[in-house]
Amino acid sequence: MSRVFLVALLCLAAVLAGPLLLDTYTINILIRSFLFAAVALSVDLLWGYSGFLTFGQSAFFGVGAYAAALCFSQFGYSPWIGLLSLVAALGAAALLALVQGWLSFYHGSTPLYASVVSLVVPVVVTQILFSGGIFTGSSSGLTAYDTPDFEIEDWFRIAGVFMVLVTTVAVIFVRSDAGRVLVALRDNEARCAYLGLNTARQRILLLVVTACIAAIAGWLYAGSSGVVAPELAGFVFGTELVIWVALGGRGTLLGPVLGTILIDFTSSYASGSLPFLWKLLLGIAFILVIVALPQGLIPAVTGRLRRKRAENVVPGLAAAKPRPRPDPDQVAIYLDSVSRSFGSLKILEAISFKARPGELVSLVGPNGAGKTTLMRCLSDGAERSGGRIAINGHDIGTLPPYRCVGFGLGRKFQTANVFDTLSVAECLAVARVRLHLPSFWRRADTLELPQAALDILRATSLDQALATPAMLLSHGQKQALELAMVVALEPSVVLLDEPTAGLTQQERRQIGGVLTDLAITHGLCLLLVEHDLDFVREISSRVVVLHQGRLVLDGTVQDVIASELVRTIYAGAAHG
Amino acid sequence: MNGAAVLTLGLDIVTTAAILFTVATGLLIIFGVMKIVNFAHGAFITLGAYAGLVASELGLSPWLGLPLAFLAGAACGALVERCVVRPLYGRPLDAILATWGLGIIIGELLTLVFGREVQFVGSPLSGTVDVLGEAYSVYRLFLVVAALIVGGGFAWLLGATRLGLATRAVIMNEDLARGLGINAGWVRFITFSLGSGLAGLAGALITPLSSVDPNMGVPWLLNAFMLVMVSGASLGALLAASVLLGGAQVVISSLASPILGGLTIVVLAALLLRVRPKGFAR
Repeated sequence: MSRVFLVALLCLAAVLAGPLLLDTYTINILIRSFLFAAVALSVDLLWGYSGFLTFGQSAFFGVGAYAAALCFSQFGYSPWIGLLSLVAALGAAALLALVQGWLSFYHGSTPLYASVVSLVVPVVVTQILFSGGIFTGSSSGLTAYDTPDFEIEDWFRIAGVFMVLVTTVAVIFVRSDAGRVLVALRDNEARCAYLGLNTARQRILLLVVTACIAAIAGWLYAGSSGVVAPELAGFVFGTELVIWVALGGRGTLLGPVLGTILIDFTSSYASGSLPFLWKLLLGIAFILVIVALPQGLIPAVTGRLRRKRAENVVPGLAAAKPRPRPDPDQVAIYLDSVSRSFGSLKILEAISFKARPGELVSLVGPNGAGKTTLMRCLSDGAERSGGRIAINGHDIGTLPPYRCVGFGLGRKFQTANVFDTLSVAECLAVARVRLHLPSFWRRADTLELPQAALDILRATSLDQALATPAMLLSHGQKQALELAMVVALEPSVVLLDEPTAGLTQQERRQIGGVLTDLAITHGLCLLLVEHDLDFVREISSRVVVLHQGRLVLDGTVQDVIASELVRTIYAGAAHG
Repeated sequence: MNGAAVLTLGLDIVTTAAILFTVATGLLIIFGVMKIVNFAHGAFITLGAYAGLVASELGLSPWLGLPLAFLAGAACGALVERCVVRPLYGRPLDAILATWGLGIIIGELLTLVFGREVQFVGSPLSGTVDVLGEAYSVYRLFLVVAALIVGGGFAWLLGATRLGLATRAVIMNEDLARGLGINAGWVRFITFSLGSGLAGLAGALITPLSSVDPNMGVPWLLNAFMLVMVSGASLGALLAASVLLGGAQVVISSLASPILGGLTIVVLAALLLRVRPKGFAR
């Protein structure tokens, strides 16, 4: 952390001293480059970190610039008008970002759709500016308005300090516990939702904050240059920002900032002597980077920015304060004639059962019986077609997954579902975000986990691999990690879809032990989909048999073993 | 509003829908088969427009400009598929970016050769024709015929040829198609070339209505992109989207303002997708 401050201080000294060494022309260009770099930084936060490819940050830059230019041209400049215009810039940008965010991010939206909307926003803003007549100056924009009475050197220092400060704050943020959630969103948004995080709200918040950064940059641009034009808000500028970020190295913050300054600065010299050739070269470099060097040019040359992640400090593990055992009289899972159909095809029909704390219920049935569909209905209120579901007495209605998790639910998916580029410790930390608001400026040096999660880590030796990126783990370790993440949510109801699929005999025994321990010692209610009937027999306290979307048997292990019906279903001879 | 104005409005809607359909078909077929959005589509449109310009400056028949534009687009598309698009299957967002970069390169090359200024191409069909007592541009009506030929040709290609069968198989399930011995790489190559060629053809078709300049493709790209987003991979849905959204564009342009009209398609399409993610596709 202290290194970040040291570098930031050096950069601050450089931009404060810059005007003493540079000629006016260079100063003029660098002001613009600094401001563009700040906008590129906002694109990198959105695209490089949270995985949202946006073409629309130019719209916020334009909104900020026009807020200043309009205020100054209507009312002239005074410090109060300056402040007013800045507030207007931030307010308008935040409002626009809220609208864009509401459109782009909801449960079930796709990355492509969000990018589509990000493309529409600058188009709409530019057209509004075009249609503004004399008020917005239409296609020629606004010029010759009153501007704050600063020397060009002062603007250089203001723009430079702004850029350095925003970059420093961004670097500190992405390295903090909260910043890690962005990467989790990029890697696996569905897993985030099932860890109880309101992903849409987080994405919208991030968009609002980055919109404000872009708007301030635009405001400074309008003040320092004295000229604004609709192109500043346009889609083409929006794509240029993406190009600079890609060339500088997405997901590195410093890469895009340096890349933008370098490219924009060179552009203004090169476009004088060889205007089209320069853009041509830039286009070729961009394609090469996208196809062959997705990490960007600067990291490829220096090879440094990325590797820093490897030397992450590993937090120490500690046991969290145990939660009280769930009330044994509370019905943990309650289903009343739940059904799911696609048109005339009925996947589930009239499923009703209850499960209580401390029970380990296995859900068995041949392929296509509707087991996974039932799991989905239990964890996402929008999934079922009819019937009622309650978790710990809370009716889930049509609530999205993160709300169901809020009622005490945890869900482990069939295929291991973790955050590929995060380390084991980081994956676990993300699972704790729902319970403890993470710090926005530092990394915790201890990671508190419930005893059961610690047991899982110890049993599978994952506690020796806390710094390993999740994508390098073996299949069994990934399954165990996901289970530990689910347990780290401190749920009282856990849904597990084939937790032992693809595991070795030994791993299977370990997981089985952990599961029975969760039910007996910790009083959790577990609902388990499983094909391995021996495993089911060993650990379950109760078995529910599904067949062709209907519940055909609900009883003890002995009942199921003795059942003629179950035998015929599995032998494939059941008809009528 | 009198009867004549309504008639003109109706004809405008039909011809605008035809133009939009022609411009978007190439993008749709590439998106349908390859699941990537070709952001160089606008540049291929521009390329086709310049091919038409070259043909007319060489003194060739304006009709000859159309196949020339198709060939220019298809050749360029074939090259691009081999060199740039191929490594990006499975990285759809990166493919958008790389093809956008290509669009920049093509635009700058065209600027280097032809200069920045706006140029005009004569129309192969000039004058007006009487439609129910109203004089209407012959060329705009011809574009409806052109759209029908393009749409019909594609429907025939997909529905009645071996290549079409293979293409539909790749659209539905690429892995399975590959497992059945269909050369998916070849289908993609043909698709991308055809789609690019169609963009070129569309460029040559629309230039007599507007003008030619190196950036003319961008607004067309945006509208075509939004239409394809609401149509999925279906030609029928694209037709419906072109008529409805294009119709809304014409109505709003003539009743409210052309600037609002220019926004109609992108805004309506984005809202439609928010409410109904499948858009017009069934």
